[in-house]
Amino acid sequence: MKHHIQLNMQLGSLFLDVHADFDNEIIVVSGENGAGKSTLLRCIAGLHKASGKIDIHQQNWLDSGADFILPTAQRKVGFVWPENVLLPWLTVEENISLGTDEKDILAFEKLVMQLEIKHLLKHKPTALSTGEAQRVALARALYRKPSMLLLDEPFSAQAPDLRDRLRIVLQDAQQQMQIPIFMVSHDLEDAKVLAHQHWRMREGKLLLEVTHKRSLPSSEGEA
Amino acid sequence: MFESLLISLELALVTTCILLVIALPVAYVLAFKSFRGHTALEVIVALPLVLPPTVLGYYVLLIIAPHSMLGSAWHTLFDSSLAFSFSGMVFASVLYSLPFAVQPMQQAFRAIPRNWLELAKTQGLNIKQTLFSIILPASKAGVLVAAALSFAHTMGEFGVVLMVGGSIPGETKVASIALFEMVEMQQQSEAWLLALMLLAVSFVMLSVVYSINRSTLNVGMGK
Repeated sequence: MKHHIQLNMQLGSLFLDVHADFDNEIIVVSGENGAGKSTLLRCIAGLHKASGKIDIHQQNWLDSGADFILPTAQRKVGFVWPENVLLPWLTVEENISLGTDEKDILAFEKLVMQLEIKHLLKHKPTALSTGEAQRVALARALYRKPSMLLLDEPFSAQAPDLRDRLRIVLQDAQQQMQIPIFMVSHDLEDAKVLAHQHWRMREGKLLLEVTHKRSLPSSEGEA
Repeated sequence: MFESLLISLELALVTTCILLVIALPVAYVLAFKSFRGHTALEVIVALPLVLPPTVLGYYVLLIIAPHSMLGSAWHTLFDSSLAFSFSGMVFASVLYSLPFAVQPMQQAFRAIPRNWLELAKTQGLNIKQTLFSIILPASKAGVLVAAALSFAHTMGEFGVVLMVGGSIPGETKVASIALFEMVEMQQQSEAWLLALMLLAVSFVMLSVVYSINRSTLNVGMGK
C-alpha cells in the first residue's frame, strides 16, 4: 500500500482513532453525523490540528512523535468543503484558477466541459445555484492537479442524473492523476459505484472497511 | 483661515496614508495571531481613545524633543527640528488616530469566514497572496471605514496638535486651533464659516462610514 494514515486524538467528547493504508484509489467515507468524517478529512489536509502519522506518496505529512507537521499549503491537496466556499468577488473562472500560476488551457477546458460549468465562467458565485457552486468548487480542487483529493459531500446538491455523470468525471480524474481520493458521502450509490474502499465511521472509529474487489486503475500490479 | 484648513486637510491625508500602512500589520497580528502580549498590544493601540490628548501630546514632545534619540536622529537626517513642525504633528497624529485605523480593520479581518482562510492554505497561497487575494478584498469595507475615520479624527484633533505643533501660522496652525483663536479674538463671521466647514468635512466623512456599513449589512459580506 502506498499511503498510510494513523490518527489517535481526542476531539471534545469524540476519540478519533483511524489506522489505515490505501493506494491511489477512491475511498468513500460514510457514517452518522458527528462520527468524525469531516474531521478526518480536515486532519489529512492539515486544517485541523492532528496527532498521529500521515505518509502520502512517500512524503511525510505528519509525525507527532517527531513534532513534524507539513503545512497545508505544501500538501497540495484539492479540498472541497460541504458548504459553499467560493470567493464572491471573483468570477467562476478566477475562482477555479485561484493559486495556480500558469493557466493550463487544455486541462481547464476539459474540466469545465466535464463538470458542465463552461457557460458560467464569467459569472460571479452569487449568481450560481448550490449545485453549480459545488461543481465549480470541484473544478477548483481538480484544476490544481492535487496530490490527493479530499471531498466532503461534493455531490450533495446535484440532481441524480448529474450525479451519475459526475461520478464518471471523478473516476476519470482518479485514473488520469493516479492519486488517492477521499469522499465523504451519505449516498450509498457513491459507495457502490465509486469506492475501491468503503470506510464506515462510528464515534470516531473506523469500522471494518468493506473493500470492493474492483480492479484498481493503477497499472502497477495491485489489481 | 483657508491656510489653516489646508494644513488640516494635508495633515489628515498624510496621517491617513501612513496609518493604513502601519495599521494593516498591527490589525493582522491582533486578528489572526495569539501570542504573549496580545492584550498589552490591544491596550496600547486603544490608549489614545481614553488618554487626555494633552497627555499624549506631552509624551510625544518628550519623544521628539531635540535632545531625545528620535529628535536628534531627525535633526542629523533632515537638519530640522521635529518638535513644532508639520512632521512632528504627523507623528503625533498617527499615534492619536491609531485605534481608529486598527480597530475597524481588526474587526473586518475577524469577520472573514474561517474557510476562506483555509481555502488560502489548501490552494497553496503564500502570506502575500493570501493578503491581497483574500484578506484585503474580503475586508474592503473595513479598510475604507478605517481610512475615513482616521481622516475625520485627525481633522478633529486639538490638544495634541496644539502641544506638538505649537500653532505656528502657515505651518502648524490647523483649522481647529485657528477656530479657537478666532473666537478668542472675537472674529465672529470667520469663526462661523470655519466651524461650518469643519462640520461639513466631519459630516461627509461619517456619511461615508455609515453608508459603507449599511451597504455591507444589506448586501452581505463581500458581495
